[in-house]
Amino acid sequence: MMPDPSMSAWEPELRPRQTLWQRLDHGARRLLPSVFIALIIIFFSAPLTIPGSAELLPALVMATIFFWSFWRPSGMPGIAVFLLGLFMDLVGFTPLGVSAFILLLVHGVAFYARFGLMRLNFLLVWGVFGLVAIAACLLQWGLACLFRLDLLDIAPALFEALLAIGVYPLLSAMFSWVLHRMDEKEDP
Amino acid sequence: MIPVSIQMRQALGKLVLPLLVLLSLVILIAGQADRKLADQARMTVADGLAPLWGLITSVQTHVQGVSTSLREASRMASENTRLQTENENLRRWYDVAVSLTRENDALKTALHWIPEPTPAFVTGRVVADSGGIYARAVLLVAGTESGVKVGNVALAANGLAGRVTETGAHSSRILLITDIASRLPVLLEASHATAIMGGDNTAFPRLMYYAQETRPVEGERVVTSDQAGAFPAGLPIGTVHYLHPGQPVVLPFARLDHLPLLRVFDFGQGLIDPPEAPGHVPLAHPHKSTTLPLKTLLGQG
Repeated sequence: MMPDPSMSAWEPELRPRQTLWQRLDHGARRLLPSVFIALIIIFFSAPLTIPGSAELLPALVMATIFFWSFWRPSGMPGIAVFLLGLFMDLVGFTPLGVSAFILLLVHGVAFYARFGLMRLNFLLVWGVFGLVAIAACLLQWGLACLFRLDLLDIAPALFEALLAIGVYPLLSAMFSWVLHRMDEKEDP
Repeated sequence: MIPVSIQMRQALGKLVLPLLVLLSLVILIAGQADRKLADQARMTVADGLAPLWGLITSVQTHVQGVSTSLREASRMASENTRLQTENENLRRWYDVAVSLTRENDALKTALHWIPEPTPAFVTGRVVADSGGIYARAVLLVAGTESGVKVGNVALAANGLAGRVTETGAHSSRILLITDIASRLPVLLEASHATAIMGGDNTAFPRLMYYAQETRPVEGERVVTSDQAGAFPAGLPIGTVHYLHPGQPVVLPFARLDHLPLLRVFDFGQGLIDPPEAPGHVPLAHPHKSTTLPLKTLLGQG
């Protein structure tokens, strides 16, 4: 039986070897969201005079991770989420591991529900993200209460969730544009 | 890469996320158990990031500086236009002043006006007065050596402060207009009515003995009067203010509770001696009796 000639394209051995430049390009594309988040963490942990920057940072990180985890999981693998969360904990003043834990949960929800989420229109995805953000902020608040053994004020947690819900459309539009540009370059 | 089957790789890939969650929980608990280690890790990271943060902060301060200077520039532009219009206005007034001075000179020449002598003055530093018989008096570091004489007039930066009552070689005591012993003849500038301004040891000396048909008006300027020859006319004192209905006081221009320096003027009032008139009997020496009532009293007692 003759092998189908069209199938040969699927053989991995017959793909042209990537040049160094291409590999660097691919790596940069995969690292782009993680680097973006790392820069945001460094920027917002600097002593800025922006009001609400303490709440804005987790909101931005959460929205970014959610978007990339369901839309392009190769750009936001679990290990990157873990390392970014740990970095956020080290730089900020949250107990070590809290952000890593919560961000991994956000990532997990988005990752396992991505086939369902991709079929929904934007408003529904936004609603799902809103629920996830509220749950994450409540969890963070609960953990903080647990570690302090004291009932803390819930208002900052809700403010953080609202900020996350508010920045999601902006970040989503920005990342969609970035993804579009990437895909355009990928197959000219 | 380690050769593993596709099934194995998929199984490992599914395990990664739960493992990471577990690891983060372990870190969470470990961080709570050993806080010192967690703090050390935090400080190491912070040390590493400190230069970056410094860069961000410096950029931030730079941006803030630029925005502040931009705002300042716009403010200065508006201020500049305001000053230019004011300058134009003032230039007009300058022309008016020059022409009025010319006219004044011309009129004085036409009238064969005898020019007034310019008063000599010395400036001294005020030191607090601890002793003395007055409640409101200050000590000036300028005495007879500097030409200060009893009865000279002391002016603060923008108004009358008092007059010299005692002099030493290097110091002189000045009775302020707020003292209870101070009684000055004054002129209400709007109505040209005379009154007596008497201190009562408060910050605002009272107006007394004004004519009933010309009551002091609120806000009216009060200047010295040359009645009794103690003061030259027209030195600014303050403005009229009614503390209560029927109780006019003077708000002095001079800030009498903060007097750093005082100028002591010798207007030469005592030198003006009226010429002898046949048949005229002076009741008392007008100058001494008005300026130093207490000193003469003390001298007698």
